[in-house]
Amino acid sequence: MTKIMVVDDAKFMRVRLSKLLTGHGYEVVEAENGEEAIQVYKASHPDAVLMDITMPQKTGLEALIEIRGFDPQAKVIMLTALGQESMVVQAVQSGARDYVVKPFDPDRVMMALKKVLG
Amino acid sequence: MDVKFLNPFLEAAFVVLQSELGMDAERGELSLERSAATADDISVLISIVGEVVGMVLYSLSEHTALAIVSKILEQPFDEFDELAQSGIGELGNVITGQAGQRVAKLGFDVNISPPTMILGKGTLISTLDFDRLVVPLRTELGALNIHLALREANTVG
Repeated sequence: MTKIMVVDDAKFMRVRLSKLLTGHGYEVVEAENGEEAIQVYKASHPDAVLMDITMPQKTGLEALIEIRGFDPQAKVIMLTALGQESMVVQAVQSGARDYVVKPFDPDRVMMALKKVLG
Repeated sequence: MDVKFLNPFLEAAFVVLQSELGMDAERGELSLERSAATADDISVLISIVGEVVGMVLYSLSEHTALAIVSKILEQPFDEFDELAQSGIGELGNVITGQAGQRVAKLGFDVNISPPTMILGKGTLISTLDFDRLVVPLRTELGALNIHLALREANTVG
């Protein structure tokens, strides 16, 4: 089963995304900040990652850079509530494959995932 | 309070409520309030810094909050638990993020703080004791009140 890691400091967003993804037949693992994301990624080797950009402790951008450091093939899609172009550009330059702006459209999330999973 | 910043927040709230709840909101009457006490069961406070400074507060009844999170997550909520609080905080976060983009289009770069949840009607918050514009947005699920106190960073009060 294809495994997706959902990373967001808002529990509501993690639950919401997990419901959406499990409803489409994906297995889901969760992390609530960038630091935890790195640990969960190493432990569970997800096929793709949906990760919030702005989080406490370690941001999504910092976690993305670290994850890509030990797995250059990591397929990471960033989630942003702010639509901050500069952060999105930095994320894409750091290896993010795509981004989704909140409030997210479930179809847009699924489309982005299918694209990165090939 | 500079009223030119009101429309970006109203537009953002209309867009987000339509997107998240699939329903239109109706704007109620604008009022000016000054009270250190919260006016609703639930308040979400977000600070704004940058070229515009101040705060936005979203307030609503527990009944409305539960109806909103139940609708978004498509599961019933009977109590305003940690998950429901996270949902309402995120709603405020997303509206403010969208509003921030619109404020940026007016020529002012802003950053927003993470949401702070204040529970209980009549809770005294000393930092709320200043003039703020309040606009109720009425939906089928109840009213979401937007309290706004913003000014350009290089102006006084």
